[in-house]
Amino acid sequence: MEIAVLVKPVPDAETRLRPDAKGLALDPEGVKWVLAGYDESAVEQALLLKEAAPGTTVRAISYGPVARAEEVLRSALALGCDAATSLEAPPEAPTDAVSVARALALALTKHPASLVLCGKQAGDDEGGIVGPAVAELLGLPDLGVATNVRWDGGPGGLTMERSVEGGLEQGRTALPALVALQQAWNDPRTAKLPNILKSRKAPIERIPAAEVAAAMAPSAATAPRRLGFRLPPPRTGAKMIEYKTPEEAAEKLVRILREEAKVFP
Amino acid sequence: MVDFSLTEEQTSLRDMARKFAKGEMAPHAAECDRAGRFPEEIYRKAWELGLMNLNVPTEFGGSGLGLFEQCLIVEELSRACAGMTTSIIANCLALEPILLGGTDEQKHRLLDPFCASYHLASFCLTEPSGGSDAGSLKTRARRDGDHYVLDGEKCFITNGPFASLYTVFATLDPSLRHKGIVAFAVPRETHGVVPGKEEEKMGHRASATSTVRFEGARVPVANRLGAETEGFSIAMRTLDQTRTPIGALATGIAQAALDHAADYSKRRQTFGKPISEHQAIQIKLADMAQALHAARLLTWQAAWTIDHGQPGSLESAMAKCFASDAAMRVADEAIQVFGGYGYMKDYPVEKLLRDAKLAQIYEGSNEIQRIVIARELLARYA
Ligand SMILES: Cc1cc2nc3c(=O)[nH]c(=O)nc-3n(C[C@H](O)[C@H](O)[C@H](O)COP(=O)(O)OP(=O)(O)OC[C@H]3O[C@@H](n4cnc5c(N)ncnc54)[C@H](O)[C@@H]3O)c2cc1C
Repeated sequence: MEIAVLVKPVPDAETRLRPDAKGLALDPEGVKWVLAGYDESAVEQALLLKEAAPGTTVRAISYGPVARAEEVLRSALALGCDAATSLEAPPEAPTDAVSVARALALALTKHPASLVLCGKQAGDDEGGIVGPAVAELLGLPDLGVATNVRWDGGPGGLTMERSVEGGLEQGRTALPALVALQQAWNDPRTAKLPNILKSRKAPIERIPAAEVAAAMAPSAATAPRRLGFRLPPPRTGAKMIEYKTPEEAAEKLVRILREEAKVFP
Repeated sequence: MVDFSLTEEQTSLRDMARKFAKGEMAPHAAECDRAGRFPEEIYRKAWELGLMNLNVPTEFGGSGLGLFEQCLIVEELSRACAGMTTSIIANCLALEPILLGGTDEQKHRLLDPFCASYHLASFCLTEPSGGSDAGSLKTRARRDGDHYVLDGEKCFITNGPFASLYTVFATLDPSLRHKGIVAFAVPRETHGVVPGKEEEKMGHRASATSTVRFEGARVPVANRLGAETEGFSIAMRTLDQTRTPIGALATGIAQAALDHAADYSKRRQTFGKPISEHQAIQIKLADMAQALHAARLLTWQAAWTIDHGQPGSLESAMAKCFASDAAMRVADEAIQVFGGYGYMKDYPVEKLLRDAKLAQIYEGSNEIQRIVIARELLARYA
């Protein structure tokens, strides 16, 4: 089986974020781009399927400025993916989900996969649209979100599970398909040191910007454009309560909740 | 050409070590310190990820890293817990005599198990009657056919109770001093190998330290490392390799101390403002940052020197000595920044001082490092 896993470079949770000089985007200076969140679960799921079904190969695919995309692809290779494709973002490319999906679909037409895995939503903007849009563009059944996927070979041999309110839902289906991974039930592995060293030397296929731009062209004119990027206003209003007894503290807290925060009528 | 930027490979190794340190080591550091617990599950994980045996070449199944990369990793691990780091890197110390003195056959036979699965090894040089003056060690080796028979006692042996292999230095004839010392690889299951109980230590309490006694232990000649006259030189060349990572370990402690102190100083208020806005505290933080930075740079340069095939005795002695003294000072000041809380075990900084102290003592005390530095220095004025 050929599995493709879509991974997005997102800023490391510890990075201090700033808008760029034009206030249009995140200032990339000093940002560490990582494989994170649901995407990590998607890679882990792909690797678990690979381990369970010998002969399976996993290709990681990422779109973005070359250095960023390749950084997360190297992480995916270090974890155990077999191959990697980076889609070079064209200059001034539209940033909407459908344009990104067109780019990813381009890689998938070059490397058809019977199972496409992605995170339920990106670790940064939490959009959740790219996966379904890729499925739509390729005419793949989109199976929605899952917490666990198993493959037993036969027709209709893909079993998936997802958490729903109060329980677990199970289903079976055939391939090809696209599945988005929900939160990590599968404690994503850490890359081993020798594999990190190897991944640094592994080849990464690069699809050049011009080809990516051509793939994005059909909706480029109508794609929404980002107007700006700014930080949320700094949080204010933390208030220390001075008190001598717990009763006094509770009394003051309730008064503040009622009169200032207006939580209670 | 001087270049202080890390390559992408070095950055990814450092980040991986940092992730392991934060995720796996740091959450257990306080508990292991308090209980004096040897967290074998963490060491096992470190092995699985390739964070042990960093110096063993890839052809023997190790990570095959240069000293510089080893230092990047050790600093990150030590930032989370120096004690665990001591036990994680003890294999590098214990296996180095095999890398330096072993034949290819010995390297394969003795190192393969360490790379195939989780095992610990211990380096046995120090004896109750003396550590610094290693040339006068008393553990005896007597040739008996195709075996040597070892008798004597080693002390302060890191991972002693848990090791499956000991690299041991013993003398054929104490009157020969350095020239009589032989190096051996001694498997734990050898009859007459008796590890003692774990010592109660001031710091590095997640690491285990014990005596190891040899009571007529018979070691095959095939397990002698190098020639009969080479043992002392193997021991000293081993320490030449492992001294620099102790500089990195100390740097990690200093980094942790500065991290805690800077963070606390912004949160603690006195006289109506955060203590970080009092100049006396700023001066402390600035001095701590300088000591830390100098420690790291000396360590990096020593590692770079040795990686470039130069002996680096002077550089590694300076790095180890300076960085461990710096770690003591920085940890001490971190406690001062925390005030009374710094003195309490519920806060993380007093452990750093206890941990830093060992770096001034082991792998050649700082007095011995200064002797080495002065000797090298004075030779240049001949
Ligand atoms: C936790 C821990 C782990 C250790 N792990 C290991 C291990 O795995 N393997 C191993 O072999 N050893 C290990 N050691 C031993 C360590 O390397 C020795 O403790 C160290 O070398 C000092 O030896 P010593 O304790 O006998 O002190 P001594 O040699 O007795 O020295 C006492 C004091 O005198 C000073 N001194 C000695 N000679 C001179 C001199 N010529 N001029 C000036 N001052 C001098 C020393 O610096 C020291 O301050 C460990 C020690 C500890 C505490």
